Amino acid sequence: MTAAAWICLCSPLAGALAITLAGTRISPRLAGYVSTGSVAVAFVAAVVAFVAILGKDGEERVAESTAWSWLTAGDLDVGLSILVDPLSVVMMLIVSGVGALIVGYSIGYMDGDDEERRYFAYMALFVFSMLLLVEAGNFLILLVGWGLVGLSSYLLIGFHHERPSAVAAAKKAFVMNAVGDATMALALFLLIYETGTLDYFPNFEAADGMSSTVVTLVALGLLGGAVAKSAQIPLHTWLPDAMEGPTPVSALIHAATMVTAGVYLIVRTHPIFEAAPAIQDLAAGLGALTLLVAGLIALVQVDIKRVIAYSTMSQIGYMFLGAGVGAYANGIFHLMTHAFFKALLFLAAGIVIHALVGEQDIRNMGGLRRLMPRTYVAMLVGALALAGMPPLSGFFSKDSILASALALDSVWGYVLFATGIAGAFLTGLYTFRMLFLVFWGEPTPYVREHHHAHHGKEGPFSMTSTVAVLAMLALVGGAIQIAGIWHPLADFLHESVEPLVEPTVTQDWVTSLIAVGAGVAGIWLAWWIYAARRAAAPHVPWARRALEHKLYADEAYDVVFYTPSAAIARGFARFVEGPLIAGSIAGLTRGFREVGLGTGRIQSGYLRSYALAILGGVALLALVFISVR
Amino acid sequence: MRGPDVTWYLALAGTLFATGALGVLLRRSPLIVLLSLEIMLNGANLALIAFARSLGDGSGQIFALAVMAVAASEVVVGLGLIVAMARRNLELDVDEMTTLRG
Repeated sequence: MTAAAWICLCSPLAGALAITLAGTRISPRLAGYVSTGSVAVAFVAAVVAFVAILGKDGEERVAESTAWSWLTAGDLDVGLSILVDPLSVVMMLIVSGVGALIVGYSIGYMDGDDEERRYFAYMALFVFSMLLLVEAGNFLILLVGWGLVGLSSYLLIGFHHERPSAVAAAKKAFVMNAVGDATMALALFLLIYETGTLDYFPNFEAADGMSSTVVTLVALGLLGGAVAKSAQIPLHTWLPDAMEGPTPVSALIHAATMVTAGVYLIVRTHPIFEAAPAIQDLAAGLGALTLLVAGLIALVQVDIKRVIAYSTMSQIGYMFLGAGVGAYANGIFHLMTHAFFKALLFLAAGIVIHALVGEQDIRNMGGLRRLMPRTYVAMLVGALALAGMPPLSGFFSKDSILASALALDSVWGYVLFATGIAGAFLTGLYTFRMLFLVFWGEPTPYVREHHHAHHGKEGPFSMTSTVAVLAMLALVGGAIQIAGIWHPLADFLHESVEPLVEPTVTQDWVTSLIAVGAGVAGIWLAWWIYAARRAAAPHVPWARRALEHKLYADEAYDVVFYTPSAAIARGFARFVEGPLIAGSIAGLTRGFREVGLGTGRIQSGYLRSYALAILGGVALLALVFISVR
Repeated sequence: MRGPDVTWYLALAGTLFATGALGVLLRRSPLIVLLSLEIMLNGANLALIAFARSLGDGSGQIFALAVMAVAASEVVVGLGLIVAMARRNLELDVDEMTTLRG
């Protein structure tokens, strides 16, 4: 079981190293195969670990394995260890499975790019980092994986380094994530101070005994990391910009895996969050706020990838909500189905962008339904799953989260529930706005001009086949857990996490009815406005402007953080750097030059005067020696 | 110990050294300057050997031999330089060669 987990962890790293070391000696195509192969091996190993864990019961399902002692300082001893339990195995399966599909898709998508090998090395590195994160056996390894994931995300967002916007987006993502890394590191320091160890279980057991201030601070620090990585308010602004990366990167990192790491973190460290109920409520509240705000902003986006990016933020909001109210298994369940249908949406969008020679503006698209019927079906499946329509996967997972909020049976629970329902309405609206604008109606001049290049074929095999697999998963993936009927996933996760709330069957049904109703209403409204065109979109200039500016989050950060620090830096440049540092250097050089010129004058070039000086010196020395004696 | 007292040897050595030093300081032809340098070295050698004899310690003589070897090498290089200067029709006057002025 642990051996398989180690193989799962090391295989993508080996792939990344092999591609890097081989350099230009292998063809770009071969690099793609190596990368895909290494991730596929990881998936097979994850399946082996999964099967092994199924064969065990109870306590035996949790296994730790330490390679060696990695860091020793005083009493603190941190091993390079992994933890294999039902939760990490589920995450391993999602990461390596979806990862293998998306890396395989990239073989077609990136074909002909100048730096394909670099891309595939980064992709394998990312999968390794993510696996390290989910398999980590203690907080420090978790933080290492956390940081490596941020790094590979940075490298991949900025993959097109010749584009200044991509470089800026990569920097932004890195800085935002660094804020979360810092708060997480602070939480870890507190834990070391309190318990003297970074292992999971001793800390979990000690969480109840800590003073409420300390445990609240620790939970807050962990939540900070989760919020930054998962692009929740207030650290959300990097995710839409991250769409500068190649589309498969958006699918893998910024939809299916990395951004869900925050949810995983909350579920993994749930005893700490349970000891700090205020922070739990904060997590749920931030999730609810994000799902609503992101849904609103998605309504006015015109870039196909950004619409999907905002829907990702919104869906992770649901997961945070679920993890915050204690419906851990439901959060992980939604994480899994979301990985399927969001990867599907991104990859299908990638096919569209590929076919339209890089165009991403949905206003220039239209009428693609007849030109790309299979892509349309894939996109439709993804959109229906995203909108939570039965019997697709999103329906089961999203409704189970909302039902758990309802099961809280408190005012706060009802507020969260109502927000989630409003979010479901918005999801239907913005998803189908995009779908109708892209696929329905008549082909625009742009489409007519550019599309004919791909007759009869909608994309290379590597792209269409992976999309088909993901479409199947999005279609039936929800069936592994049906509220009120069977719940194998929750049972499987039971050894890792136990839910705090258990909705009744009535609550499940009520939630499903209301949520599906809201979703259908959203879809109907989108159809009414964007497909049937029976009514124009409501025209409210100030609201549209505010949403197009993403509710001024970037501007607010600009005013609060950037402007003051830039002003301080300018002040230092003017009053410290100029006169003090540069001035002193200039003075030193001037002094040395004067001294040099002065001594230079002694060098007359006359040999005999040198000889006289030497002789005089020797005579002087002789005198000194004689007199001193 | 036979022969003159060590003082005489030292006096001769000092005279030789002073003669050479004056030659180095006063003459302008590089050839003569080199020659005067050799005289100075010989003065020093004489002092070394005189002391070695007077103290009954052989190491002073070894020093003198080493100085001779170095002096011979130095003369080879110095004369070579002077011949090279003469070949290029440069004026053989140390006061004219002031290129390394600061």
